[in-house]
Amino acid sequence: MFDIMTVFESFVEILKVVPKTLLLALIILVLSFTLGAMITYIQSLNIPVVRQVIGVLQSFLRGTPNVVLLYLVYYSLPLVLAWFLGLFNVTFDPTSLNSTAIVIVTFSICYSVFQSEIIRGALHSLDKDQIEAAQSLGYSTTQVLRKVIIPQVMVEALPDTMNAFLIIIKALSLAFLVTVVDIFAQARLVGAQSFSYLEAFVAAAFVYWGICVLLTYVIDKLENRMRRGYA
Amino acid sequence: MDIKYMLEIFPQFLSVIPITILIVVLSAVFGLLLSIPVAAIRIRRIPVLSQLMGAYISFTRSTPILLQLFLFFFGLPVLLQLIGFDITNIGAITAAVVCLIFFNGAYMSEVLRPAYLAIDKGQHEAAESLGYTPFQKMKGIVIPQMAPIALPGLGNAMIHLIHDSSLVFAIGVVDVMGLATIMSGDTFGMKQVEVFLTVALIYWGISMVSEQIIRLLERRKKRVLRKTGYELKEEEAGYSV
Repeated sequence: MFDIMTVFESFVEILKVVPKTLLLALIILVLSFTLGAMITYIQSLNIPVVRQVIGVLQSFLRGTPNVVLLYLVYYSLPLVLAWFLGLFNVTFDPTSLNSTAIVIVTFSICYSVFQSEIIRGALHSLDKDQIEAAQSLGYSTTQVLRKVIIPQVMVEALPDTMNAFLIIIKALSLAFLVTVVDIFAQARLVGAQSFSYLEAFVAAAFVYWGICVLLTYVIDKLENRMRRGYA
Repeated sequence: MDIKYMLEIFPQFLSVIPITILIVVLSAVFGLLLSIPVAAIRIRRIPVLSQLMGAYISFTRSTPILLQLFLFFFGLPVLLQLIGFDITNIGAITAAVVCLIFFNGAYMSEVLRPAYLAIDKGQHEAAESLGYTPFQKMKGIVIPQMAPIALPGLGNAMIHLIHDSSLVFAIGVVDVMGLATIMSGDTFGMKQVEVFLTVALIYWGISMVSEQIIRLLERRKKRVLRKTGYELKEEEAGYSV
């Protein structure tokens, strides 16, 4: 009933989509990080109404599961886009939107909230005096950002950000619902071909496990190295 | 947008919310029960078992919950056959609950372990020197101090669990999300946005209610902590695996 050889064959098949999954996760991580930085910045401005709106949005994104959001975006984004582009007299076929794009948009929005929290936490750890010292030395704003804030905040935010990367890789397993093929979706396809779902899923589990163990190891090394520079 | 339609389907969702809550409560309670021995083994560093538990925690943390659900759904019958039970098909709800218990046992043990280790060694020694039995020590000294430290983590686990339970529709359980997928098929692809927006609002509501309950408990915790003088650390950012 359970065949080790099939596990191995599925494993090889599944490995083929690992680069694609990692790339997708990386794109989502970068986008969500940018969005998160923007959210942090807007919140730090403390504009009355905007702040409340973002607060509600954050609560909504945190309170709803990813699947629901994925489906919601999957069905509403094409309509919203068509309506929006219609305002500029651009005709847009709602069905032509690529589902990979939808996955990227959904997860970028989802995780931007968490990223903004990570960035805020990292900024908190930064000593205010350092910025003042840099300013008194005549650093411009970009110089302060580039030479004082970012190097330190990056080290502080790295563990959580990489944690988010792993979470995104795992969350991508939902992408099979909208026909994007990642590790999990590939396992389903492989399993369906040979009628051996269990073997395929076991293989996929090992792939995920391997990725996580490897990445965690690399991140630990990287963090140690970065901390040494700024200790 | 058809708000009338959303209001129309809302009562239908109310009828399946108990299934979601049943799954969440069962997995939370039994997950917590499972996490206690797991944490104990890790704290005591029992040679072989401790490594096994480490692998178990690492496994549940690094594979998606969706994959775990499918593994249990297809793998549990095979496992049961090995032991001698001849069950070719287990119910989807059973598989889902067993999987979520398995997942939460690992997750919560990682909340309990640091909470236990945060308690000062002197407390244990004081209890022992006063002649407390291990059970008395647990009940009178360790757990009351552990609870406030572990609460935020357990609350987080609860919110995660609610979110994770939305995935059980993938193996065929008709919970809130399962009903939504059925409904979105029923409307011939016309009203999916409304259906999923309703579902999103329902989950938002459930999460908010559980968050409020956790807040309530946390307020009590702060009162308790003020008496013991334990320094509260800044809450961890957002979420963990």
